[in-house]
Amino acid sequence: MKKLLTLLFLGLSCSLFAQTVKVSGTVTGSDGTSLPGVYVMEENTTNAVSTGIDGTYLLEVSVGSNLVFSYIGYKTQIIPVTGAAVIHVILEEDSELLEEVVVVGYGTQKKSVVTAAIAKVTSDDLKNVAPVRIDNALKGLTSGVTVTSNSGQPGESARIRVRGVGTINNSEPLYIVDGMPIGGGIDYLNPSDIHSIEVLKDAASGAVYGARAANGVILVTTKSGQKGAVRVSYDFTYGFQNPWKEYDVLNATEYAILMNEGHLSQGKAPVYSDPYSLGEGTDWQKEIFNYNAAQINHQLTISGASDKVNYYISSGYYKQDGIVGGNFNRSNYERLTIRTNTTYNLMDHSTKRNFLHKFTMGLNVAYSRSTSFGITTNSEFGGPLGSALGMAPTLKVYADDPEALLAEHPTAVKDPRNGKPFSIVEGSIYNEMVNPLASLSLPGTKGNSDKFVSNFWGELSIWDNLKFRSSLGIDLAFWGNDGWSPAYFLSTKNFREYSEVWSSMNRSLVWQVENVLSYEKQFGSHFIQALVGQSAQSNMGQNLRGGNRYLQEEDPYKANLGFATGTQEYQTAGGYVYTPHRLASLFARISYNYAERYMIQATVRRDGSSNFGPNNLYAIFPSVSLGWNFTNESFLRNRPDWFSSGKLRASWGKNGNESIGQFKYTTTMASRNNYPFGNPGVVNIGAKPNGFANADIRWEESTQTDVGLDLAFLRSALTFSVDWYKKRTTGMLMNIPVPAYSGDSAPTGNVGIMDNSGWEFDFRYRFSLGNVHFNIGANATYLENLLVELGNENGWQNYDSHKIGTLTRAQNGYPFPFFYGWKTDGLFQNWAEVEAGIQPNAQPGDVRFVDIDNNGVINDDDRTMIGKGMPDWSFGFNLGFSWKGLDFNAFFQGVYGVDVYNVTRRTDLYYINLPSYMMNRWTGENSSNKIPRFSFESANENWRASDLWVEDGSYLRLKNIQLGYTLPTHLTRKIFISSLRFYVAGENILTFTNYSGFDPEIASGGTSLGIDRGVYPQSKIYTLGINLTF
Amino acid sequence: MKKIILILSTIFALGLYSCSDSFLVVESKSSILESNYYNSAERLYSGLVAAYDPLQWFDYFYQYNSLNMVSDIMADDIYTGGANEGDQPILVKAHFYTATPTDVPNMIWTTAYSGVNRSNIVIAKAPEIEMDQALKNLYVAEAKILKAYYYNILWKFWGNIPYYDENLSFPYICDQMKADEVYQNVITLVEEALTANVLPMKARAGEEGRITRAMAYMLYTEMVLYQNDESRFGKALQYMKEIIDSNEYSLVNDFKNIWEEAGEWGSESIWEINYISEGGVRDWGNPIATGGSVYPVLIGIPGYVGNAFCDGWGFSPVAESAYAMYDESDIRRDGGILNFAKHADQTGASYTARWQDTGYFLLKYIGRKNGNHGYTADPNLNYGNNQRIYRYAETLLNAAELIVRGAGSGDAQMYLNAIRTRAQVPSVSATLDNILEERRLEFLGEGKRYWDLVRSGKAESVLTATNHLYRTENWTPQKKYWPIPQSEIDKSAGTLTQNPY
Repeated sequence: MKKLLTLLFLGLSCSLFAQTVKVSGTVTGSDGTSLPGVYVMEENTTNAVSTGIDGTYLLEVSVGSNLVFSYIGYKTQIIPVTGAAVIHVILEEDSELLEEVVVVGYGTQKKSVVTAAIAKVTSDDLKNVAPVRIDNALKGLTSGVTVTSNSGQPGESARIRVRGVGTINNSEPLYIVDGMPIGGGIDYLNPSDIHSIEVLKDAASGAVYGARAANGVILVTTKSGQKGAVRVSYDFTYGFQNPWKEYDVLNATEYAILMNEGHLSQGKAPVYSDPYSLGEGTDWQKEIFNYNAAQINHQLTISGASDKVNYYISSGYYKQDGIVGGNFNRSNYERLTIRTNTTYNLMDHSTKRNFLHKFTMGLNVAYSRSTSFGITTNSEFGGPLGSALGMAPTLKVYADDPEALLAEHPTAVKDPRNGKPFSIVEGSIYNEMVNPLASLSLPGTKGNSDKFVSNFWGELSIWDNLKFRSSLGIDLAFWGNDGWSPAYFLSTKNFREYSEVWSSMNRSLVWQVENVLSYEKQFGSHFIQALVGQSAQSNMGQNLRGGNRYLQEEDPYKANLGFATGTQEYQTAGGYVYTPHRLASLFARISYNYAERYMIQATVRRDGSSNFGPNNLYAIFPSVSLGWNFTNESFLRNRPDWFSSGKLRASWGKNGNESIGQFKYTTTMASRNNYPFGNPGVVNIGAKPNGFANADIRWEESTQTDVGLDLAFLRSALTFSVDWYKKRTTGMLMNIPVPAYSGDSAPTGNVGIMDNSGWEFDFRYRFSLGNVHFNIGANATYLENLLVELGNENGWQNYDSHKIGTLTRAQNGYPFPFFYGWKTDGLFQNWAEVEAGIQPNAQPGDVRFVDIDNNGVINDDDRTMIGKGMPDWSFGFNLGFSWKGLDFNAFFQGVYGVDVYNVTRRTDLYYINLPSYMMNRWTGENSSNKIPRFSFESANENWRASDLWVEDGSYLRLKNIQLGYTLPTHLTRKIFISSLRFYVAGENILTFTNYSGFDPEIASGGTSLGIDRGVYPQSKIYTLGINLTF
Repeated sequence: MKKIILILSTIFALGLYSCSDSFLVVESKSSILESNYYNSAERLYSGLVAAYDPLQWFDYFYQYNSLNMVSDIMADDIYTGGANEGDQPILVKAHFYTATPTDVPNMIWTTAYSGVNRSNIVIAKAPEIEMDQALKNLYVAEAKILKAYYYNILWKFWGNIPYYDENLSFPYICDQMKADEVYQNVITLVEEALTANVLPMKARAGEEGRITRAMAYMLYTEMVLYQNDESRFGKALQYMKEIIDSNEYSLVNDFKNIWEEAGEWGSESIWEINYISEGGVRDWGNPIATGGSVYPVLIGIPGYVGNAFCDGWGFSPVAESAYAMYDESDIRRDGGILNFAKHADQTGASYTARWQDTGYFLLKYIGRKNGNHGYTADPNLNYGNNQRIYRYAETLLNAAELIVRGAGSGDAQMYLNAIRTRAQVPSVSATLDNILEERRLEFLGEGKRYWDLVRSGKAESVLTATNHLYRTENWTPQKKYWPIPQSEIDKSAGTLTQNPY
């Protein structure tokens, strides 16, 4: 074969002078089978063809160019064209997909032999989503993780739940970044620095983290350099944000009509003589939104690697103004991050000896600084958005008679943009609600945060594959806030007569020391990987704060404690020091596989925590998992080509939750149990123990079983996984019911039980049609939660509440938590229906409630489950393609089977503005069967906590859509740029939902998801960006 | 290279250090653990003060249960009052003898048992502490009497209650004891505390409010009389005589002044529950903070316009029959009851009548104008009126009654005369009925009438619906003990039997 080629070369050498040559040949795999559909292209041109069914191709190319052969699942080959007319190619299978590596706790494993349920998100997936914080980033990218943003405020965190709500207490998962557990928020981490995120979902994968893994573990690995020349890259994006939706509320005319009806309902004369003359009135939402708020991101990365050193240096700057209050400096977020990850190969004599032959050392240092301003995001009591929804459209933004207003209220708030004083509603009909623009014009409290996270480790290869690794991690954080307020007058219930300034500073230090001994070896068909390790962690911190009054001058630049003139009685100071929290653990893991066909892994970890008392100082968490690569069996050796691999796996294990609070196993002394003696009485100090102790208190424990199936087809171009799991949390901490005659408050005990179970599906397909490369991914999660036993005296407990009543509840036998209220059954259309019903205080147009317990009376006992905030289904899917220099990606994310409790409306304030659906109220027989007649009060309590307030919160969102173009490399190379990509992207461009409020995604305010008290909505963002690589 | 190995070895060493158990033992940075606390006289004293603390809670702890008021509304001289029949159902139901397990003053139960628990801590911790023995004995004796006082309240209202001398541990269940057995245990406890002979007869200056021997004697006698335990009558009389002979106490001539702020801890006062207005931090959200009382506002004149008193909520109106039972010359009539018509004549004041209004108010306790001076939290919760629990007048009447009932020798007539003279009324002969009637006149609104009726057997004939302006049910012996709160029955795993109310 070779000789033939040489002869052909010589023979054709005389045709070197010819510009083009027709090249043909056959493309085969390494086993000799011909490969159809292989893409054959002349490099850097559009001149290309695909191989036929027999694997042959024919292409006319210029001499001196290169022929590129590419095929999914095979390693691409580039062959120079020197004039030969026939070029046959043998393509090698690209087994990188199979050799894909997954990070597990304290090490890595080949994906093909992983037996636990681990979801992986790569930096490519993250690039498509372009997140600011990684907790928001995980939304919809992988199954088993439910992420709900707290609100749309810049810098706002998200509530993450891995496989459901594990406990009524702390359900936060454990975040580990480069081996260091991170507390206090993950927003210090720049998502561009992330190489991969692994979510350890089942007990077997999390068991190596023992007492902190009951709620799942999120492992983040940051980037390192790649071998080759130095890579320098710069990314820039600029985005415009706008609210994606405004809440439909009444305009001035509609408002006047309803207010008149309200007055008539109370037997009073109507207020507005001619509602139609009022026109549209003030649209408060338009006044308050900061349209086209800016979002800017700069990112610079320098990385590279050689035999001795591997380095990755990055720096990022991010700034985002909020769509509410961003223009008043009340809702803004700014972050600077600097990171350097370095690994040194100090000694590598592996070729010379097998004993103390390799020593590597690494140092990761990350610094992040952020400052932020925030407004109240989800409150019906006077947050700016709540006020914007509540202010009547008949009110003007600015005062009608500025001089008179300032004469009466000299400290009235003026618009900083033009000096005009804002209107003030006289009296207290709005209670705490005030002109939202006025409240935004007051200064905000500035939050600041500086965080250093550093990891230093050394790894020594002792003998063969026996390695010893020692590491020290440090998380040093400083955070606080500074704020001030001038004297102001917003309303009779909201005013301040003197200026005030306050400041608080916190710092905390966490250090962690770990030593791990590991060994792995392949003995023929047997492979063993074992490790044993130790970990210790200590956490301490303190807080200091102070305040004073009477600033010399109301100047924002000088608003600090030194400028205040208040005397001692007005100076406040306080603070505290945390009691240290410590963990000490030992762990061991062993994995074994036979010919990558049968796999087994077992882990055990013993954790001691300073939260545990001497009766239960150490907790032991075991787990075991099994796997079977059935496609490696001999009887499946002759399986069809398209069926690449299949694995069946099962796992069982226990994890724990050690966040049970400190000193629960004993009692501390409480002071302020005083009594006065003497005449006149003088207070004597009394002290007593703070409740009963429970010496046997222990951690909350979760036991989980998982069964999974991973399938790959078409040379792993198409992968599909399905998992089923059942998780039971026992020993949930709850106050145990104790009779009052015991004389003190009840102790906490491990008494509750919660179950979570569900299904998870992941799907990915990468394929090519001609020279267009597609990739499709999808994932779906189904979750079922059941509170088996609350553990307290009556098996239920109410949680969030509102002026209309209790909103959520925990109860044995129901999901935790659920929306609680009355069920409705239409309206009474006429007096006959009222008489036939059982509600004596009703009249036509009132709501008919359902008598759940059938006792002929509507009372508190008729409340039942009317919805829940945790979705049944969460899913996400993305479609992307790339063609030549163009790339496109669209990512959808959504939830289904979820409700939102829309309680943005205050029923206690008569004159507030109302949502537009109130126009559909009952005005006569059969005019409506849902919204009752409009009245300020109703004896029937029409607007008590019922399903009238609950709406379907399912949504599907086009979360991210991106279209990019990379300039051809031969152009950019001329100016030393190896790649230049421009792109436009949109975030939250489309949202499909039936929910009438600002945003169906709500996790802020209270203990529950899905309660909307006027949430700050997500913004719709259009972005332009550049990626530059040198 | 060497430096790196050094750093790594340090890390390894740190790792080894963390392997010891002591690494995980942390000490609180902001509080003292109970196991380290009780180790000195000052600390034991702070525990004792905590045992007094619940005394202040009865008047408001999410329910209005001033001890005198709660028993008086079950008798005949005081009505419930308030806005209407639906205002404060637990008081209304107690008043009408229709209490239920879910509508009963259960916060009295919770408060009293809190007191028992705190007293038990003092008694349990004292032995191990190294301190002056006499002081230790004093604190223990006070704790025992306090405990007896709290159990006395529970025993009188509920009778068959859980009784324990040591605080409970898991599963926090205690057997219910029959009323008679409770009495035996508590009276023995008082006798034990008195045998130690450490309590002063009268509180020293600056210590008013602490348990004294006189107070313990009064508690003993109250319980003995309520139980009609004739075997102990002799001892009780001896105790009463000891108080009289000590000359530490004497009747105050100006009866009206006993009830003013200046009259607190006067020569007649044996024991009061202290409330202070200066610096009072009691608040609706924090009812157990130390400060004043809400009771004076609760029973205050509703919609009052005038200069002498505060605006109140009109509870606890005094029955017209109660005003009428006094002689015209009896200074206790207008010294204890405010006849509003007279007051209006003199000052032009006015008020807005509420439910069960009679025009007569309990002058002893209604809030005076500025009675909450110096408060720092809620103005209504911080009136400084002390609750007068035991007065020397009761000592004299106890002694008289015991003598007449054959407890021992003594001049009952002399004691009765002293009361009558102070009241500026002619004397009456010292018969049992006269003495009981005298108690009614002397202690109107002070929470004694109901218990006197019950113990003397007169409740059934006096507390009838026909005798009463509002009641529709008669008192029966079953009504002696209130229903045990349902929440307690639910939490006690079937060990509590409900009272046959």
